[in-house]
Amino acid sequence: MTTTATTVDSLARSFRRMLVAAGDEAPALRRSLWLFAAAAVVEGLALGCLFPLFHALLATPADGAAAARWLVLMGALVALEGALRWWANGSFTYSHHYAQVGHQLRLRLGEQLRRMPLEKLYQRRTGELTATLAGNVDELTTPMGMVSALLLRALIAPSVALLVVAYWDWRLALLLAALLPAAAWLYRRRRRALAKSMRRLAAAHADTSAEIVEYVQGLPVLRATNRTGARAERLQTALTRLEEVQRQDQKAGRLPGLLFASLVEVGLWLAVALGAWLVASGTLELATLAAVLVIAARFAEPLSLFIGVASVFDYMEAGLRRVEALFAIKPLPVAPAGAAPKGLDIAFEQVSFSYEGSDERALKDLNFIVPERSMIAFVGPSGSGKTTAVRLIMRYADPHEGCIRLGGCDLRALEPERLMGLVSAVFQDVYLFNDSILNNIRMGRPDATDAEVEEAARRAHCHGFISRLPQGYCTQVGDIGGRLSGGEKQRISIARALLKNAPIVILDEPTAALDTESEVAVQQAVDELVRDRTVVVIAHRLSTVVGADRILVFDEGGSSSRGGMTNSWPSRGCTGACGRPSKP
Amino acid sequence: MVGNPDDGREPQGVWHLMRPIMGRIRLAMALAASGALCGLGGVASLALAVNALLGQAPPWLWVGGAGALIVLAFLARALAFEVSHLAAFRLETLLRTRLSDHLARVPMGYLVTAGTGSLAKVMQDDVKNLHAFVADSTPFLGRSLAVPAATLALLVWLDWRLALAALAVLAVGVATLALSMRNRDTLQRRYDQENENVNSRVVEFVQAMPVVRTFDAGANSFSRYQAALERFRDVMTEWLAFASVSARLSLVFLGPLPTLFALSLAGVLLLGQGSLGFAPWVAALLIGTGLADSFMPLMWLQHFIHKANGSAKRIQAVLATPALPEAETIESPKDSSVRFEQVSFAYDGREENALADVSFYAAPGTVTALVGASGSGKSTVARLIPRFWDVQEGCVRVGGADVRALRPEVLMEQVAFVFQDNFLFQDTIANNIRLGRPDASPADIERAARAAQAHAFIEALPQGYDTLVGERGGRLSGGQRQRITIARAILQDRPILVLDEATAFADPESEAALIAALSRLMRGKTVIVIAHRLGTIRTADQILVLEAGCAVESGRHAELLAADGAYARLWRRHEAAQAWTLTATDSSTKIEASE
Repeated sequence: MTTTATTVDSLARSFRRMLVAAGDEAPALRRSLWLFAAAAVVEGLALGCLFPLFHALLATPADGAAAARWLVLMGALVALEGALRWWANGSFTYSHHYAQVGHQLRLRLGEQLRRMPLEKLYQRRTGELTATLAGNVDELTTPMGMVSALLLRALIAPSVALLVVAYWDWRLALLLAALLPAAAWLYRRRRRALAKSMRRLAAAHADTSAEIVEYVQGLPVLRATNRTGARAERLQTALTRLEEVQRQDQKAGRLPGLLFASLVEVGLWLAVALGAWLVASGTLELATLAAVLVIAARFAEPLSLFIGVASVFDYMEAGLRRVEALFAIKPLPVAPAGAAPKGLDIAFEQVSFSYEGSDERALKDLNFIVPERSMIAFVGPSGSGKTTAVRLIMRYADPHEGCIRLGGCDLRALEPERLMGLVSAVFQDVYLFNDSILNNIRMGRPDATDAEVEEAARRAHCHGFISRLPQGYCTQVGDIGGRLSGGEKQRISIARALLKNAPIVILDEPTAALDTESEVAVQQAVDELVRDRTVVVIAHRLSTVVGADRILVFDEGGSSSRGGMTNSWPSRGCTGACGRPSKP
Repeated sequence: MVGNPDDGREPQGVWHLMRPIMGRIRLAMALAASGALCGLGGVASLALAVNALLGQAPPWLWVGGAGALIVLAFLARALAFEVSHLAAFRLETLLRTRLSDHLARVPMGYLVTAGTGSLAKVMQDDVKNLHAFVADSTPFLGRSLAVPAATLALLVWLDWRLALAALAVLAVGVATLALSMRNRDTLQRRYDQENENVNSRVVEFVQAMPVVRTFDAGANSFSRYQAALERFRDVMTEWLAFASVSARLSLVFLGPLPTLFALSLAGVLLLGQGSLGFAPWVAALLIGTGLADSFMPLMWLQHFIHKANGSAKRIQAVLATPALPEAETIESPKDSSVRFEQVSFAYDGREENALADVSFYAAPGTVTALVGASGSGKSTVARLIPRFWDVQEGCVRVGGADVRALRPEVLMEQVAFVFQDNFLFQDTIANNIRLGRPDASPADIERAARAAQAHAFIEALPQGYDTLVGERGGRLSGGQRQRITIARAILQDRPILVLDEATAFADPESEAALIAALSRLMRGKTVIVIAHRLGTIRTADQILVLEAGCAVESGRHAELLAADGAYARLWRRHEAAQAWTLTATDSSTKIEASE
C-alpha cells in the first residue's frame, strides 16, 4: 500500500509543480482540475447505479419500478458528469487561459533574458536558450488540461467505483483492490526505467548529434578523403551505437508498461473466476458479479492510456527545471540611490576580474582613466583581456575587486538603461533584424523621423548603397540577406550608433573582417562616429591607433602577469614599445 | 480522417518515408489489431461465462477461454510494440545514413546556402521526431481501426437495436466533433504559421540579445518578440473560442457514460418487453463503449501525424535536392593547370550573374591572385574550381579536363583548399592533420606541422599532438587553427591549391607565422588565392581583377599599377586603409569618398 501512496504522492507533487508553472492562470487551472475530479467522482457513482439496476432486473419477479428509479438516477448522474466535464473543459483547456499560460511564461522568460547579466547570457549557447523559450515552455503547458483530466479520471473514477463494489461485495472489492499495489509497482518500475533510459538516450542522442554536426560541417574535408555516406566511419559508429542503446532500452522498459495495460483484463478475469466460484457456491448474486464485470471493463481503456500519458509529466518536470534555472539567475544589482554621473570620463580603479569557472584572472589590478572626449586604444594579443575590459564598461559583469566609474559614479549605482543610453558599441559581428533597413537603423533611437534616419545613414556612408536597393530604405533585410556585404552591414550598425548619438563610443575591431573596399568606407563612417566623443577602441592594426590619446598594452594572458599596464605613452612613441616579436 | 498508407493526397508525408520499413509496420499494425480483437474476445468470453452461470451451467470453459485470449492479447500487443519500435529505430539509422550519403553528393554550395546548422538539425531532430509516430502511433492506429469495426459487428450480432442505440450516441459525438473541426485546415495553417513565427522570433531575440542589450537594453527586440507572442496567443485564443462549444460537446458525447446510459436505457426497455436476454445485454454493456473509446485516441493520432509530417517534409526537401550530375564520359587531368573558359554563373534564385563570361588560365606552378570588392565574384571563382556548383555557361578545366567530367575523387585528389572557416574535427590534433592523408606516419605529420609553423605551439600543449581540439578541447586561437589546416593541406600535397583570404583574422602576432606557413604550402603548386588585403600578392604571377562578376583586368602588379585602372584604384584605397588613423577630436583621414 505504501507504493500506492508514494505514487499518488509523486503525482500530487507533479500537479503542484504544474500549478506553479501556470503562474497567473493557476486559479483557472485549479478550478478546472477540481471540476474534472468532481466529474470523475460522479462517473464512479453513475457506474455504481448498475448494481441496484441489475439486482432489480434479475429479481424474481423483476422489479420494474426499482429499475426505473435507478435508471433515472443513473441518467441524472450521467447528465451531471457531462455538465461538470463541459464546465471543466470550458474553464481552462478551451478558454483564453490556456493560450495565456504559454504566453505569460515566454514573456517572463524574455524579460529575464533582458535582465540577466551578460556574462550568464554568453555562457549559454543560443540553441539552449532557444530550446527553453520555445520547446520547454510547450512541455510545461502540454500536461495542463486534457492530460491532467485523463490522469484524474483514471485515478478517481475507479477508486470511487471500488468503494461502491465494496458496499455490495467486499470479497470482490478486496480482489480488485489487491491489483492497486501491483499497478503502482509496475507504474514506478516503468517510470524508473523510463527515467534511466531517458538519460541514456539523451546521452546517445547528444553523441549522435555532435557527430552529425561534425559530419555536415566537415563534408568538404570528408568528401576530399572519400569518407562519406555509409563510409563515414565515425558517423556510422555513432548511429549504430544509438540504435543499440535504443534497442536495449526498449527491452528494459517495455514489460512493465505492457503488463500495466493488461492489468485490468487480468483483474476482470480474476473477478469472474472468483465470482463464478462464489456464485456456484451460492454466496454471491449473479447481478453483483455482472455489475462488477461491466464496471471494471470500463476502466481498461483509461488505465492503459494512463501509463502512456504519465510520462508527459516527466517531460514537464524536466522542462520546468530548465525554466526555473533561468529564472533563478539574479540580475546585476543596482545600488538603491540611482546616481547621476558627473561628466563622461571612465576610470578603472584596481579592477580584477575572472570568468566564472576559471581560476585565471582575466584582468588583474587594472587602473586607467579615459578623460572625457579623449580616446583610449587597447592593443595586445587575443586572450589578453582587451575584450574583457570593454565588456566590463558595458556591465557585462561586475568586477570582483576594484570599481569602474563613469563620471565619478560607480557603474553599479547606475540604472542599466541609463548606462546603455550613454554608450554606443560597434562590434565585429553586426546583428540585423529581419525587418526593413529603415527600422534597423531606427533602433538606435525609436522616435527618430525618417529624415533623421536618412541623415544618420548619409553620415555613416550607407545612403548610397541603400538607395540602390530595390525598395531603398524599405528593403527587408531578410529578402537581401546574403547580398549585404560585411562592410555594408557594419555601416548600417554605425548609422544606428550615430542615430543614438551617445557620448561614449566603444569600438571592437570594427574593420577586422572587412576587405579593402569596404574597409575604407567603414573607416570613414567610424571617423564620423567618434568625433567629439569619449572613445574606447580595440585595435588590431597598430597604425590605426597611433592617434589615440592613450594606448593601453595588454600582456599575453593579461590575467597572470601584469594584467594590463597603466603606462600611457605619448602617441607616436608607442610603436616601438608594442612591436614585440611574434610568438612562435 | 486519418491519413493512411493508401491516402494518395500526400505522397510527401511521413508514410512515404516509411517505405523501407513498411512491411514491418504493417505487421505491427496487424499484430496490434489482432491483440485488440483477442482482448475484445476475452471480454466477450467473460460475458458468455455470465450467460452460462445464468443458465446454471458450468462457466469454466468460458473462463478458461477468456484467460487464454487475454494472454494472447498480451503477447500480440507485446510483439506489435516490439516490431514497431525496432522498425522505427532502424528507420532512424536508415534515414540518417541516406541523408548523409545524399549530402555528400549534392553541390557543396547547397550546404553553404542551406546552412550546416539547419541541415544537421534535419538529420538529428527531424529524423528523431518521426519516432513518436512510427513506433508508438502505428500499432495504436491498427488497434483503433480494428476495435470499432469488431465492436459494431459484435453489437449487431448480439442485438441490432442495442447496436443502433450505441451508434446514435456515437453519431451525435461525431457530428459535434465534425462541427468543431470545420475550418480546421485554415486555422491549423494559421496556427502553424504563427507558431513558426514565434520560434523564429525566439531565435532572433536570443541571438541578438548580447548585441542589442548594449544599445537599448533590448527594448526594441523585446517588443518584436512580444508582438509575435501576442499574435500567436490571439490565433490560439481564436481557435479555442471557435471550437470551444462543439469540441466540449463532442468530448462529453464521446465519453463512455452516454453510450453506457443509452445501452442501459434501451436494455431495460427491451428486457421489459421480453425481447432481449440479460446475458446479451451485459455483453453489450461490456463491449459497447469500444466505439466511442476509439475516437479520442484517433484525434490524438491526428496530432502526431501532423507533427511527423512537418518533419517528414523537411527531410524530403533535403533528399529532393538534386545531386551533382555525373558525366557520361570520364576524363582525367593531364597537368596541374586551371582554366576558366567564358564562365557564367548565377546563384539559385538570383537573376543577376555572379560571374559573367570570365576566362583565365593559371599555368602549372604559378600563383594567380583574385582581387576585387566583396561581391565581385572572387569567392565564386574559387568555389567553382572544386565544383561547389556547376557553371551555367562555359567550362572550368582542371588539368585540361572539364571538372564535370572528372570523377569527384579524382578532382579532390587534384585540389586542396584552405578556406576562411578552418574546420577541425573533435579529435586529436594529429588525427586532424592526418585527414589530409590517412596513411601518414607520425613523422609525416610532424614534418607537415613544422612546415606549417605549427609544431612549436602543438608541442607546448599539455598533450602535444594528442591534444583534443574542438568545443571542450585545447584553446586554440584562430591563427593556430588555421595553421593546423595548413599542415593538413601540406600533408595532402595536392598539385593545385585554392586559398581564401587566409590571413584576415589573424592577430598581428601570428600573421608572420601564417605567411611563412602559407609560402611553404604554396611552393611548387598552382595557386589560386583570394586576397582581400593586397599586400600579400604583389609577387603573384598573375592578378585577376574582378568587378561585378566580370574579369576587368589581369596582369602583374607593376603592369596593372602602370595601367592605372581598377587595380590601381583598389591599390590606392588599400594604401589609404593601411594608413588610417583614428582620432576622436579631428577626423583628418583623407581618402577619396566611397559613395
